[in-house]
Amino acid sequence: MEIIRVEDLNFKYADGKQALKNINFSLEEGEMLCLCGPTGSGKSTLLRLLKRELSPRGEKSGNIFISGRRQDDLSDREAATDVGFVFQRPDMQIVTDKVWHELAFGLENLGVGQDEIRRRVCEIAGYFGMESWFERSTDSLSGGQKQLLNLASVMVMQPKLLILDEPVSQLDPIAASDFIATIGKLCREFGISIIAAEQRLEELIPASDKLLAISDGEIAAFGETRECVGTLISNEIFSSSMPASAKIYMNLTGSYKEESTERGKERTGAASDGSATAGFAELPLSVGEGRRFLSEYIKKHECAPEVVKAVDFAKAPEAPEDAKTSEHMKRSELAKTPEDALEFREVYLKYERNGRDILRALSFKVGKGEIFCILGGNGAGKSTAVCAAAGLFKPYSGKIKVFGKDIRDYRGQELYRSCVAMLPQDVQTVFVSDDYNGRHPYDLSGGEQQLAALEIVLKTEPKLLLLDEPTKGLDAGLAQSLRKRLKELAAGGVTIVIVSHDVEFAASTADRCAFLFNGEVVSVSDAGEFFTGNYFYTTAYNRITRGILKKF
Amino acid sequence: MKPIEKYNPAVLFLYFLLLASIAMFATNPVMVGIAFAAMNLTAVSYTRDGLGRAYLFFFVIFILTSLANPIFSHNGVTVLLVVNDNPITLEAVLYGVMTGIMILSVLLLFRVFGTLMTSDRLLYIFGRAFPKLGLLLSMTLRFVPLFGRQRRKIENTQRTLGLYKNENAIDNIKGKLSVLSAMTTWGLENGIVTADSMSARGYGIKRTRTSFSMFRFERSDAVMLTLIIISCGFIFLGIAMDRLKTDFYPRMQLPPFSLYAIMCYVIYAGLAFLPLAAKIRDRIIQRKVFGQE
Repeated sequence: MEIIRVEDLNFKYADGKQALKNINFSLEEGEMLCLCGPTGSGKSTLLRLLKRELSPRGEKSGNIFISGRRQDDLSDREAATDVGFVFQRPDMQIVTDKVWHELAFGLENLGVGQDEIRRRVCEIAGYFGMESWFERSTDSLSGGQKQLLNLASVMVMQPKLLILDEPVSQLDPIAASDFIATIGKLCREFGISIIAAEQRLEELIPASDKLLAISDGEIAAFGETRECVGTLISNEIFSSSMPASAKIYMNLTGSYKEESTERGKERTGAASDGSATAGFAELPLSVGEGRRFLSEYIKKHECAPEVVKAVDFAKAPEAPEDAKTSEHMKRSELAKTPEDALEFREVYLKYERNGRDILRALSFKVGKGEIFCILGGNGAGKSTAVCAAAGLFKPYSGKIKVFGKDIRDYRGQELYRSCVAMLPQDVQTVFVSDDYNGRHPYDLSGGEQQLAALEIVLKTEPKLLLLDEPTKGLDAGLAQSLRKRLKELAAGGVTIVIVSHDVEFAASTADRCAFLFNGEVVSVSDAGEFFTGNYFYTTAYNRITRGILKKF
Repeated sequence: MKPIEKYNPAVLFLYFLLLASIAMFATNPVMVGIAFAAMNLTAVSYTRDGLGRAYLFFFVIFILTSLANPIFSHNGVTVLLVVNDNPITLEAVLYGVMTGIMILSVLLLFRVFGTLMTSDRLLYIFGRAFPKLGLLLSMTLRFVPLFGRQRRKIENTQRTLGLYKNENAIDNIKGKLSVLSAMTTWGLENGIVTADSMSARGYGIKRTRTSFSMFRFERSDAVMLTLIIISCGFIFLGIAMDRLKTDFYPRMQLPPFSLYAIMCYVIYAGLAFLPLAAKIRDRIIQRKVFGQE
């Protein structure tokens, strides 16, 4: 059964901006639709229009059918329960103070009886594995738990269609992939239809059945996921955000279409999806599929892995981590000069007297003009480390040296005067002025806010720039411009320390990387070496090529 | 009997309310003594954190109330001394001391009440009576810590950006003001998301919301509630019929020791020591089940 059908949807904001043009698509029950598009392409507007209560003000034409009925004809109760909506920021959509109360909130609004609420709330908490934090206050949860709570408190209303607006962009990769696995499970096990918009598509694309790509308010592609990825991979705007497997396939086989139709002919018997998709069945999307494709390709063409690697690199749009430019090499050389921009020497730090150590014997050095990236899981102490380097937390043992001088010897504002600057994780804390280049900073999209905050921070002309999770909520295009900006700065002699979960960004930006675990540095090495050496904590590209194109 | 905090909040609330009113109305040295002993022990066993400092404050209150009475009230026949032509009588001093002890007991009782009646328990009680107020309270409890954290984050960030530059008072005030203004913008902007999240989940589509709570009213709650009401009723009846009254003026009498009065004392002691007894019983059972630590 068709759960949603959108016909000729046009939307113009009250200020005259045309946000959506001729949107047509439909989704079957139990299908997952991945919505992608660059920042400002109208994704959020489209998603909000699908949920009646959230429809923005403006001029709308065309029809939206939910389960075969016009959206406007639904009763208030149906509109609230049948379509669930999860927003981007985990913190701000939580309404009440306790986990169990948040779960009950929607049902309370519908006037459901006490016993029925109790049954449904407990059932959902059990299903999502929330027993251990069921009675806790919502304030004490981690980001991943908060977002899971938001999902659960929508699911408790038993929606038929679930709409997610960049649900994992504020989460770390592990929490993000857990979240995507959970929605995939809901889709498969309960037949709930899902529409999810996201910037990072590496994991969402393999999980989804259909894909809808929009740019500038118009549909760029819509259809079966594989088919769409096949068309989008050669599209300038979308190619960089497509999964690594598909990119490798593209690089190796040249034109996607020729190869695939040729292969499709060979294997018509094997392709059981029906004749229409037979030609696309070959395109690998997940890491597993990518590995299978790569080893088959090598076997079939009987060429050495080195040759394949060379072919792959030659066509890659942005050079992967081990193709270092000469400028890169120069900076690595520079990094070997005796003066360090930042040095941690056996730093111990904790928040409370009897609390646990957040940093324990943390030691590392960052050379002048280097881009240094600290990676690690949640609670490894990454943010604490940069805040300590910015003088916001004081270690109880050990030494932090900034440009060779003990951080405690910087008096008053000396440390922040053209010396150290930090871009915090929550960039909204940077905005005190209501005006950024003629616009209010809160009117910018998440990714644009990130870049705006960076520019504001750079006004202090720092020599050492500390960045805490700078790629949160950035799409592939903006990540690219951030990377460019950072490299420019580094070329101009600014030392950059990045703390991030984002392995892909770190791999393409950093000179050296460190892995932080439980408050100490476990390994430090050049970026290329670092990511080929790691097994779990590495880029999708490395996970695909590991053992096939590279040793280990 | 289960641990006192496991009872339904309504039962707890009524218990504290009735106990506090008996403690305040019964001007009977025996009952004041019972309350004082019970509340001290209960406060020590339930609210050990910061109790020392609280006692310091209570002691000051005690001294003030005990002194105030003989200074302002000159009734009584036993004159101890005369100050400025005003007699200070033994009866007034004794009455003052008793009032002081009574107030001390009630303050300790409120301390225990504050510890046991956590926000979610209060919410349960008021949410039932006033659903809108209940939700507002819950949202407030959610956003107060959230705002506090955001303010600290903004302050930290702005510090690294060179706010509070010269570290003088005026710059400090200016800095605080701009943090406050940033907080306001942040709150308003992000409040929109909260409002969206509420309306997406059907807030406002029905006039009468349910006020859901995880607390249940069990059989043991009913039993306890009945017990509390009956015993308090018995004591209140005694107070109303002047069976427990002790006069201090013009001459102090001994507290009444009729059968009714003695029954009242026993019942009152049972009530006042209830939380402590529940705790001790729980300890013993825990030890039986899980063995010595």
